[in-house]
Amino acid sequence: MIAPKHILGTFDEALASLRNNVLLMSSLTERSLDRAITGLLQRDDELCAIAIADDEEIDQLEKQVDKDGIDLLLRFQPVASDLRRVVSAMKLSSNLERMADQGTNIARRARKLNQHPPLPETELITPMYKHAMAMFKDAIDAYVREDVQLARAVVPRDQALDEMNAKAGRRLIERMAEDPEQLRGYLNLIFVSRCLERVGDHATNMAEDAVYAAAAEDIRHQHFVPAANGGT
Amino acid sequence: MVSILEMPETTSPTIVNHPERIPKPETERGMIEIEQLDFAYGTNKVLHDINLSIPARAVTAFIGPSGCGKTTLLRCLNRMNDLIDSARITQGTIRIEGVDINAPGVDVVDLRRRVGMVFQKSNPFPKSIYDNVAYGLRIAGITKRSLIDEAVEKSLRSAALWEEVKDRLHVSGYGLSGGQQQRLCIARALAVEPEIVLMDEPCSALDPIATAKVEELIRQLKQQYTIVIVTHNMQQAGRCSDHTAFFYLGRLIEFDQTAKIFSNPAQRQTEEYITGRFG
Repeated sequence: MIAPKHILGTFDEALASLRNNVLLMSSLTERSLDRAITGLLQRDDELCAIAIADDEEIDQLEKQVDKDGIDLLLRFQPVASDLRRVVSAMKLSSNLERMADQGTNIARRARKLNQHPPLPETELITPMYKHAMAMFKDAIDAYVREDVQLARAVVPRDQALDEMNAKAGRRLIERMAEDPEQLRGYLNLIFVSRCLERVGDHATNMAEDAVYAAAAEDIRHQHFVPAANGGT
Repeated sequence: MVSILEMPETTSPTIVNHPERIPKPETERGMIEIEQLDFAYGTNKVLHDINLSIPARAVTAFIGPSGCGKTTLLRCLNRMNDLIDSARITQGTIRIEGVDINAPGVDVVDLRRRVGMVFQKSNPFPKSIYDNVAYGLRIAGITKRSLIDEAVEKSLRSAALWEEVKDRLHVSGYGLSGGQQQRLCIARALAVEPEIVLMDEPCSALDPIATAKVEELIRQLKQQYTIVIVTHNMQQAGRCSDHTAFFYLGRLIEFDQTAKIFSNPAQRQTEEYITGRFG
């Protein structure tokens, strides 16, 4: 939904700048996660190093979004949807920064894994990554388009990711017992799986913030009841 | 007094008022009940079908652009508009505690004692601080000095001015600062023990410190009084009031809890006005 222009053009400019920085953070975070996972799956240390280096720019953008958001609150004292847009941009930026940290963590684990023979169980990561990134992209799309329905739909999808993480954890612990020589490798994969589960948590937070921004509704911490057909 | 009157401009036929869609705060019956009120200056209708229930012992803010009728409605609540030729209510009722204030036989002087008013610009009388506060009591026929002394002190304390003026009660009210003069006017309004206090932009001529003092005073006064405040300062409405009514072109667009109005108003026009996307 496009809001009518503000009487103060500087307000619209400041809000647009804030939003653009959040979207830039989102693109960089997506790229960083992609590089980290590709570095893991293709055993590419260079990509892992780039993913780790990417984090600095995202950290700086988070600080910039906070600074601009506070400046906007101080200068314009926005209310209603404007206030929600500023607050949600700041919250999204915080979640994006933490999500990017998970990319860094994955890249670090990948570099350790790459020092040893490949583990077939690495394939457990691919579906988790796809699921987490689909949640992430939908959460950002929902935020950009102020699409409450799409944002709401992201939240219950986190449960599937949690289950995939639990399942991968069980499988990897079994493998540790069967193949103790590769214990460190399996442990690193457990950490990677855990990182992706956290990416899903942040995507959920972002979807909740998107609902708040668009509909002024706080849907956090609501008990999720699975559908009757057992779907997620 | 007439100088502060806001003369609403012509009305737009495109804005439709839907009283049934205007949510009311979850309170019991209001202290002031306004029903289907129309008001006109001559042939110029400036309030259209206003339905509003103002709760007791709370602060209700009227907001809206200049000419929207908020001051006119405020002045209807103690019949200040009676002082303007050709100004009249053409339809509807205003009831205070169930009594129609425009019914024949209503004592307007007593009404204005019960419904006090504080104006945009502080307007102390050219008298001492003491005499300013005592004025309404003397008009009401109270002559006993001890009673007046007691009421003056109580009113000045209620207006958070006592400590600043207790040693110079008999100097001119004009010697006070702007913020003190406005609090003196509030004390004067309180001296006659009103039930309702109407405030028409009470801080528009004050600096931020004096404004903060008056706002804090409003917060304290609502324990005892029903307060209706007209303000152009949206932050002030957000800080001071419990309920907010938004008016546009003589119509009540939305009335709700202040927190709701300023976080998620139900009406698009309210949202556009409070966010500065208006006109």
